[in-house]
Amino acid sequence: MQINGERHDNGHRIAVTGRFDAHETTEFRGYIEDLLAQGSRRIRIDLSKVNFIDSSALAALLHASRAAANAGVEFVLADLSDPVRVIFELTALDQAFTIEGAATSGPVGQLA
Amino acid sequence: MPPHPLASTERTGPAGRRTSAVPGRSALRIGVVTALPPGRNSLNEFGFHLVKHLATVHETAEVVVYADETDAGPPATLAGARNVACWKFNDVGNLWRIVGAVRATKPDAVIFNLQFATFGDQRVAGGLGLLTPAVLRMLGVPSVVILHNLSDNVDMRDAGFAGNRATAWLMRTAGKALTRALLRANLVAVTIPRYVELLNTRYGARNAVLAPHGSFEELAMPSFDVPPGKRRILAFGKWGTYKTVDTLVEAYQELLRTGHDDLELVIGGSDSPNSPGYLDSVAKRYADVPGIVYTGYVAEDDVPALFRSASVVAFPYTSTTGSSGVLHQAGEYGRAVALPRIGDFVEIIEEEGFRGTYFEPGDPVSLAGAMAEVLDDDELREDLGRRNFAAATGIPMSEVVQWHVMHINRILQQQRSRR
Repeated sequence: MQINGERHDNGHRIAVTGRFDAHETTEFRGYIEDLLAQGSRRIRIDLSKVNFIDSSALAALLHASRAAANAGVEFVLADLSDPVRVIFELTALDQAFTIEGAATSGPVGQLA
Repeated sequence: MPPHPLASTERTGPAGRRTSAVPGRSALRIGVVTALPPGRNSLNEFGFHLVKHLATVHETAEVVVYADETDAGPPATLAGARNVACWKFNDVGNLWRIVGAVRATKPDAVIFNLQFATFGDQRVAGGLGLLTPAVLRMLGVPSVVILHNLSDNVDMRDAGFAGNRATAWLMRTAGKALTRALLRANLVAVTIPRYVELLNTRYGARNAVLAPHGSFEELAMPSFDVPPGKRRILAFGKWGTYKTVDTLVEAYQELLRTGHDDLELVIGGSDSPNSPGYLDSVAKRYADVPGIVYTGYVAEDDVPALFRSASVVAFPYTSTTGSSGVLHQAGEYGRAVALPRIGDFVEIIEEEGFRGTYFEPGDPVSLAGAMAEVLDDDELREDLGRRNFAAATGIPMSEVVQWHVMHINRILQQQRSRR
């Protein structure tokens, strides 16, 4: 996995590339913690180049999203690749995120 | 900015009762139907940790545990939870008793911690119990099933549930009917991605979701070394039916024959409820084999030391019912594992991030080879241990329970919007 980031206005744009799984989550969490510590006001994560993601990585995204919310930071996922979209459909957790670009709309909306 | 669905923004009401951060939403009272220690019914440990972590979620005011009655004494009491012991393994009255208890205690929603034999290994009692989530939903109580296995993946004859082909067919048919009944719950959460796909494609499910098993505790990085002294092969579980140790003992003997003379075989755990007396019969059969230790039931507190003492954890199964709680435990303690190539089991566990050495089920020479790969290569043993630790601890259960709470909130929101 590669994480590339750039400052943008008062926030950060981050692109995650490659395999995003349990073995990569520590690095990702550390990266987000650093951004929050730097006082970033908006974090946008581009997931268009993620070719594999597992539920541990999804949990890391949720953790980051929650940490950002608690710090009053806007946290946005953008341009989900197909593997990312699939994990959102499987877990029905899309509502936990603000998603720009290819948002998910699987069959999981009908839970009740 | 609206509150994050999982944001920890708890508030406390005037009476000290938690209230939700979301305006107009009061904190939840969540019911959990599960087996609990000190009883030894299956999924008791998962149930214990599920309740423990649910009780600490900020949006939960109280967890009401509809626990099993056992001869081992009253169910374990956890902070933030109260127990209503109201069902018993193989009791045909479980459906009515649980429904009665739920109606008396009025939770906002009920989570079921289930596998197909949770309520009994006798067909009527076992099957009737599995109708409970559907009945509760019909009564307007949202029900979420955490389903740990699928009947579609169980070889009924091998697993000891059917004695012949006709009975196996009947059992499979009944299993499918019960799967459909379970899918009458508001939500069915399974722990493996391809189970969601199977429920969607084979049963037309639209309410199946992935919710990972979750590691029981947030664990510090374990030591990947093994203690000095004899190297231990560990097998752990409830033994009998499709989880037998005969092949493992023969593989162990093969290792002794091929010069691995510093080994000990530890068979941890007790008999499966379906196979009373199995381990006694094994002990008699292999009484002349040196270095075999039978631990019997292992108390929760003794589990970590048992796993940490192992050089390799073996899974001598001939069928599987999906991923394995024991595999997750082996991962939590950074252990290398030897796993059977059964159906798509290897693919399933590798999707979860686990890695092992692999063997042909029922073949002691193959199993001995898989264990020798680990025993003879410290670098491989450590690498597998590290990978399995990462896979098992990727998501702590404290996070997974928040997924369940979020789903419950969504179901309740949908119910309110329909009124």
